[in-house]
Amino acid sequence: MGKVKIKRKSTLIDMTAMSDVTVLLLTFFMLTSTFLAKEPTVVNTPSSVSEEKVPMENLVTILISGADEKAGPEAEGKVFISFTGSADSTLIPTENLRLAMLDAAVKIYNEKRGKDLKLTPAQKKVFTELNMFGVPFEVLPELLDPNVSQAVRDNLQGDMASPKVGIPYDMGDPARNKERFGKLNDLQIWFEAINQVSQTTHDDLLSKFSDDPAKAASLADLKGALRTGKAIAVKADRNTPVAIVEDVFDNLQTMNLNKFTLMTALKSEDEPSN
Amino acid sequence: MAQIEQSDKGGKKKKGAQKKMAIHVDFTPMVDMNMLLITFFMLCTTMIKSQTLPIILPTNSNQVTDQDRTQVDKSSAITLILDTERDADGKPVIDDPKTGKVKHVIYYYFGAPDTTFTTPDYLKEEAFMGNVNKKAQGIRAILADKNKTVLENYNNLKQQWRDGELTKEKFDSLARKNAADSLIKDRPTVLIKAGPDATYEALIYAIDEMQINQISRYNIEHPNRVDSILINQYKATHKK
Repeated sequence: MGKVKIKRKSTLIDMTAMSDVTVLLLTFFMLTSTFLAKEPTVVNTPSSVSEEKVPMENLVTILISGADEKAGPEAEGKVFISFTGSADSTLIPTENLRLAMLDAAVKIYNEKRGKDLKLTPAQKKVFTELNMFGVPFEVLPELLDPNVSQAVRDNLQGDMASPKVGIPYDMGDPARNKERFGKLNDLQIWFEAINQVSQTTHDDLLSKFSDDPAKAASLADLKGALRTGKAIAVKADRNTPVAIVEDVFDNLQTMNLNKFTLMTALKSEDEPSN
Repeated sequence: MAQIEQSDKGGKKKKGAQKKMAIHVDFTPMVDMNMLLITFFMLCTTMIKSQTLPIILPTNSNQVTDQDRTQVDKSSAITLILDTERDADGKPVIDDPKTGKVKHVIYYYFGAPDTTFTTPDYLKEEAFMGNVNKKAQGIRAILADKNKTVLENYNNLKQQWRDGELTKEKFDSLARKNAADSLIKDRPTVLIKAGPDATYEALIYAIDEMQINQISRYNIEHPNRVDSILINQYKATHKK
């Protein structure tokens, strides 16, 4: 009997095809990904059947923090703001928009409250790089300290129970403070800055494109977004009491920002809400 | 990692002929690294973008007097008062532990509030129930019934769009026109009032029902004293 010769096969598997696939997948994910923007607190938005997507540009996000078991009742209802500029770099990119907002808001704050808040260029630069902020004006210099790391800032803003966190939005006596230029709270000062900056940047752009009427007529800037009601998105937790959210709505209404959107997650029409 | 194999067939080698070489490069570490990167990108991306629900609020300037405001016709008014059940600690009661859904209650009445408390079953209670077998349930059925004409037109348009007779843009604009058509007289005006216990989710669900039922006239208001009295009265008579 002849010996059965076992062929010695190489155990090497050709990984080239596998590598091709993974590189393709990688490319796909790299191109489609938009990174989660860092937010000081995580909120669980309620779901709705609305199919309109959140715009990627010319957006002011107002985040309202939800209840936190550990941090106590103080943590609920803290307000944060994030500004996003135009995607078109010939218009107002995010950095310029944030800088303009900061300058306008500090100016209004100093005028209306008789304060003398001054920020250094280094502090302003920090502000333009900060995705979301939510501190009273008094705490701004501390938050924007250029000598500390981002982690320190995140810690400062992440402590929901701290009185230093959250833009104050108490309107006091609502009957008295509905006067448009009455005593503005911090949130209203930021809203007024939105009103002013959207107008001034729009005018600047119009003069910039004065020789290009087609472009000037179709400017995709914050003012256009405000008019269609897509510029402001309110994001709040599903279990936040309506009273807190309505307080923020009242602030928006008082500053003539009556058209805005609420951020929600998607659900189907058939899904029972309850 | 990479190796060069000589194909040695045992035959005679010609002098001067080049040796045939098969080059194997081991791609396993490359695949490993790619997988890691993919995992990273998959975890860091947001594939599902958030949706937005547009709302328009009226001005709250105290320059506007009652005469400037549009008065709601009593016959077409529906008032929804939202409430969320809460436990002793003030946390919303979870209705279904599997999905973590919270229990919302809607009290509603038609027309002007009955302050004499004489009409039986004047204030009624409903829930957000969505659709069951494609049929509207709960508060949705009540609103749909009140907005019949608009909804019928809307469903016709939707059918035309599904049949390919209308483009999506055309359908959207016609649907919007239909929802706001002032010629349709039997349209309701809904007043959404969020009670002190209601959560933001209840408000979103209520606005959602407006969208689903094509109700263009609605307003978000603060509940007044009459509403609280009505609800207290209801709770006293209907709940232990």
